[in-house]
Amino acid sequence: MDILKISHVTKAFGTKKVLNDLNFSVPEHSVYGFIGQNGAGKTTTMKIVLGLLKRDQGEILVNGENVTFGQNNTNQYIGYLPDVPEFYDFMTSLEYLTMCGQITGMLKKEIREKSIELLKLVGLDADHKRIKGFSRGMKQRLGIAQALLNSPKLLICDEPTSALDPMGRKEVLDILSSVKEHTTVVFSTHILSDVERICDRIAFLHEGKIALSGTLEEIRNIRKGDRIELEFLTEQDAKKFSELCAGGKKTGRTKLLFSKKTERDMLEMMKCLLQNQISVVRLERLEPTLEDLFLEVIGK
Amino acid sequence: MKQFTAFIQKEFLEQLRSGKAMILGTVCCLFGIMNPATAKLLPWLLEILSEQLSENGMYITEIQVDALTSWTQFFKNMPVLLTVFIVLFSSILTAEYQKGTLINIVTKGMKRWKILIAKLLTMFVFWSAGYLVTFGITYGYNAYFWDNNIVLNLLFAVFGYYLTGLWLISVVLTASCVLRSSSGVILFTGAAFAVSYFLGLLPAFREYVPTFLFRSNDLLTGVIHSDECLAAIGITFFLTILNGFLSVLFFDKKAI
Repeated sequence: MDILKISHVTKAFGTKKVLNDLNFSVPEHSVYGFIGQNGAGKTTTMKIVLGLLKRDQGEILVNGENVTFGQNNTNQYIGYLPDVPEFYDFMTSLEYLTMCGQITGMLKKEIREKSIELLKLVGLDADHKRIKGFSRGMKQRLGIAQALLNSPKLLICDEPTSALDPMGRKEVLDILSSVKEHTTVVFSTHILSDVERICDRIAFLHEGKIALSGTLEEIRNIRKGDRIELEFLTEQDAKKFSELCAGGKKTGRTKLLFSKKTERDMLEMMKCLLQNQISVVRLERLEPTLEDLFLEVIGK
Repeated sequence: MKQFTAFIQKEFLEQLRSGKAMILGTVCCLFGIMNPATAKLLPWLLEILSEQLSENGMYITEIQVDALTSWTQFFKNMPVLLTVFIVLFSSILTAEYQKGTLINIVTKGMKRWKILIAKLLTMFVFWSAGYLVTFGITYGYNAYFWDNNIVLNLLFAVFGYYLTGLWLISVVLTASCVLRSSSGVILFTGAAFAVSYFLGLLPAFREYVPTFLFRSNDLLTGVIHSDECLAAIGITFFLTILNGFLSVLFFDKKAI
């Protein structure tokens, strides 16, 4: 079953159309990467799903129920981590989580146990330190704890790692992949290595539409690698080979890159290397990276 | 109910820890003491000034100071207290919009109308408590120094002012549901007060505006009677409740 289904959603701010007939669905128990450039409409989409922004057209279902703008009942299934989570800084983290637990209707004992468990998971202490003194990273961790408090069916994270240092990023990604069993995670990002690290499915948002979507394997298989890179022992070898086999582009002192080559071409190259007694450090067919696909999608 | 209790606890904690409760408490105590103190010090002040005034040809005869002098002072100071209160609480919602703190609360499934009622109730409780402190201190001193019984319609006049305060608080809430800055809220509330005041200058509307209840001096001296205020009380009640409803309607569709 799809936990989130977005059909034909459009949204414009003034004359600028941010979302233009947006369609996608997120199956349960997946980690869904929502990728797009800055300003592509990722945050707008998430805010519409949460009922914080009004859509111009289209339908959104969360757990099979319709999302409405303003007072929105489907929020009970959702945990949300905004890009810059803001809290009441006069409270301590435990006080804040207790309030959130009461709002979601959890039992007193359950709130206490879950809060302490989550604070431990995200690496915060349940002490008397007020949120006012928290760093950006600490706020992000508390944001994850509050989003997971009521064991939501859908966890929506808006660029959860973009403001963190490499260590903080790794920890946040580990937490997100560890909750996958109980929760479906949708997270937006423009950091592609994060996507490769934890996502099962991805969607590229471009010009208000999903330009490409599917599982990570499906996306990679769309365009098989057609580039071959050779690294030689010496510069002379590289030069000699480029004379024998035309079309190579020098990408380093001893490196040559050939584009649009088939498997047959690759075998020919190997034959040529053997016949001319040229040894290589490396001969590799390059798989397209997500970055290549991303750049291709946005037309650069 | 759980959601509501949790949020109202947060509101009270905020007022206490942000220091607003202390500021309000201090101001209310000061005003409470200032009213009888000003009345008590008035003859002494005028005595000091009398020499200078007599040089200018003005002579001061004996000054009669009683509970009425102190209560007049009380009602003169009340608009200042009300203004301090409105300024202190003008950011009760706008600060949440600006920081984005309500996003987590709303996305946790909190009913929006509960947020509003919690805010309104918090303001009502703090206004009532502050007003009671000021009134209690002034009443106590007045009873000690003079006789409160010489003043007519005292409780009625005090209630009128209190009720007008509630109305202006409801205006603060409505303005906060429409506007995004606290200065806008203060201006809107000031404008609502001005509309009521200027409308009250027209004889046809005189008795039907909330600001009619500010004519406490006339009530204390018996120039107007309490039953003449009934229409204004009814209208102020109605407007307060109407503002509450309008706030819920506006806030339900507010982008936060």
